Amino acid sequence: MKFSLDIKGTIAPFSAIARAFEHPKTICYPSQKKEKVDGYRGFHTNLLETCIGCANCQDVCMNDAIDMITITEEKNAKNNSGCIPRIDYGRCCWCSLCTDVCPPNSLKLESESIWANEDSNNFLYMPKDK
Amino acid sequence: MIENKENRVIKIFHGPQHPGITGNMSVELDLVGETIQKARTHVGYLHRGFEKLVERRTIIQAFTIVCRICVPEPDPNEENFARAIEGLAGIEISQRAKYIRVMVLEMARIGAQMLWMGGQSGSVGLGTVAQWSIYDRDLILDLFEELTGGRVYHMYIYPGGVRRELPDGFLDRLEQFLDYLEERLPKYDNIFFDNSTFKKRAIGVGVINQDEALKYGYVGQALRGCGIKRDVRKDNPYLVYDELDFDIPTFDGGDVYARALVRRQEIRESIKILRQVIKQMPTEGDIMQKIPKHRKFKIPKDDILVSSESARGEYNYYMAGDGSEKIRRMQVKGPSLIHGFTLLENMLKGEELSNVAMIMNSLGICPPEIER
Amino acid sequence: MIDSLAKHYEIEKKAERLFKIRIDQNELLRTINFIGSSSNFMTLSQITCADWIEDEVFTLNYILTTEQRNKNLMIALDIPRDKSKLPTILHLFPQAEVMERDLHEMYGIDFIGNATLYDFALENWKEIPPLRREFDTLAYVNEQFEFRAGREDNKDVKAETKRRRAEAKKLKAKMEAKK
Repeated sequence: MKFSLDIKGTIAPFSAIARAFEHPKTICYPSQKKEKVDGYRGFHTNLLETCIGCANCQDVCMNDAIDMITITEEKNAKNNSGCIPRIDYGRCCWCSLCTDVCPPNSLKLESESIWANEDSNNFLYMPKDK
Repeated sequence: MIENKENRVIKIFHGPQHPGITGNMSVELDLVGETIQKARTHVGYLHRGFEKLVERRTIIQAFTIVCRICVPEPDPNEENFARAIEGLAGIEISQRAKYIRVMVLEMARIGAQMLWMGGQSGSVGLGTVAQWSIYDRDLILDLFEELTGGRVYHMYIYPGGVRRELPDGFLDRLEQFLDYLEERLPKYDNIFFDNSTFKKRAIGVGVINQDEALKYGYVGQALRGCGIKRDVRKDNPYLVYDELDFDIPTFDGGDVYARALVRRQEIRESIKILRQVIKQMPTEGDIMQKIPKHRKFKIPKDDILVSSESARGEYNYYMAGDGSEKIRRMQVKGPSLIHGFTLLENMLKGEELSNVAMIMNSLGICPPEIER
Repeated sequence: MIDSLAKHYEIEKKAERLFKIRIDQNELLRTINFIGSSSNFMTLSQITCADWIEDEVFTLNYILTTEQRNKNLMIALDIPRDKSKLPTILHLFPQAEVMERDLHEMYGIDFIGNATLYDFALENWKEIPPLRREFDTLAYVNEQFEFRAGREDNKDVKAETKRRRAEAKKLKAKMEAKK
């Protein structure tokens, strides 16, 4: 390789030093939290007084992640099967097809997305009632 | 000094656990000293079996897993799948949905080029560029988060249109981001593209033979870095690319530096396209056509081929239906299938060991799309 | 160019820049040589394969594209599903080497003349080639893996609805009888 003098190419990279005193772009988790965005595909919520237990969500889920289990106290008289969905978060991919096909629009996704647990068998999630 | 003439060849594996590879694959190298005599590519660490998974699912169920085939840039997969289903079933989408799809594809293209810049500079030893470009890519991911609900896997381009309406003020935020990015690009020139370290390492290394390039099926920057102007958006246009005004950059030389300059210019062309889309987007029109429910959506017994341009080259989908609600065959061919085998094994003969990472990054070899 | 090819083959136009012809499997090499020398379709872009188990054939498509990369031509041919053999086109297009290796591993097609038909994506695979229709992925998964406990209380919604309706009817009948 021949030696060729390239003054601009040697001096120009030092301009990066000017950014050394900027405010860092990362946030100090957990004392500072990331702000939640509306419409983010996070955890499930299911309004039990409108859920009719039709199992459309179980039918469309292609990972077989939804179980229909018997409800303990009756919240909606129109629920003919007496079942509500429970989601296996080891299999869910958060595609939100289940919320698209829900006829009374009771199953939705909120912006919450962090859940940590010590027990590795604790992965079955009951959607919050709201 | 004792020189053992029989045992001069040493065999090493470059990968699959190596900071200098662009994905999860390995290259088996035969070395004499530091020069490579023979190279052989091994893939198989990322085989997830998408083509078999899709055969057991209905069309709407399959659309949500297709985006995971390519990790750095998932949107061309969704777009090709949607266009193949629409071609087989005979669905026409509205003009507004086409413009929104072009916007999403170009945003993903800028994000993928930012990620490439981080990888290419890291392979040469310039770590600061990756810190800057990953932050700028994060701002694009913030825009995707409010538009589609997910940062990397969007699941937004649906057969029949797009899934959600644009949020209020989204186009203004996109325009502000483009102004910010255009002001930052000359700073990347100072530390990366004009850097004499990068130039001395990259010029003259990894040269592609121009006579073989078209015959052997190379695509993307491998052709444009040799001075051959080919791009699916101009040669075989789809969506609304024939109504937009943009240029295809080419540079002569065929080496790593020429391909880097092509990508640098493509970021500027993508910003130009996005500004035109913001101005010309129609304000009326459905974003989604009416399609049958998922167990009643049947496609006829026929086959089709669609292709689009991703950040690395031409991306092809072959799809065959059999009259039922499930897809009979979906075959995916990304640009890295030919670049990772035929081109890489020929190019590495005679190169030095320390240049392997730089060459792999400049070709943009993405192992998830080789072995889906 | 398409008109000159139309004199020798029957060309089906599938889309604005996509054409298809059908040939017999013994004419593969002769057709590709002829098309490569007498028209602008000079590069191989993809080799695809679809399994039509009800007709007992594999349908392969050799997809050629022009030098300007603006038109695609699909050459379709059928081969039998058992002991399938085809000559290789490696000497014409080096990129066919890895495509034929992929099809050999996934479908079991033997390409005569290609010496690189070793593993592509699978390792230590002992079953039949996986993309054939008779390979059942659900049966394979149930044999090889265990599922985690905890999901046994899943109920079938249709059966539950029927059961609850029958119970409600019985209860109503009892109340009527009491009156």
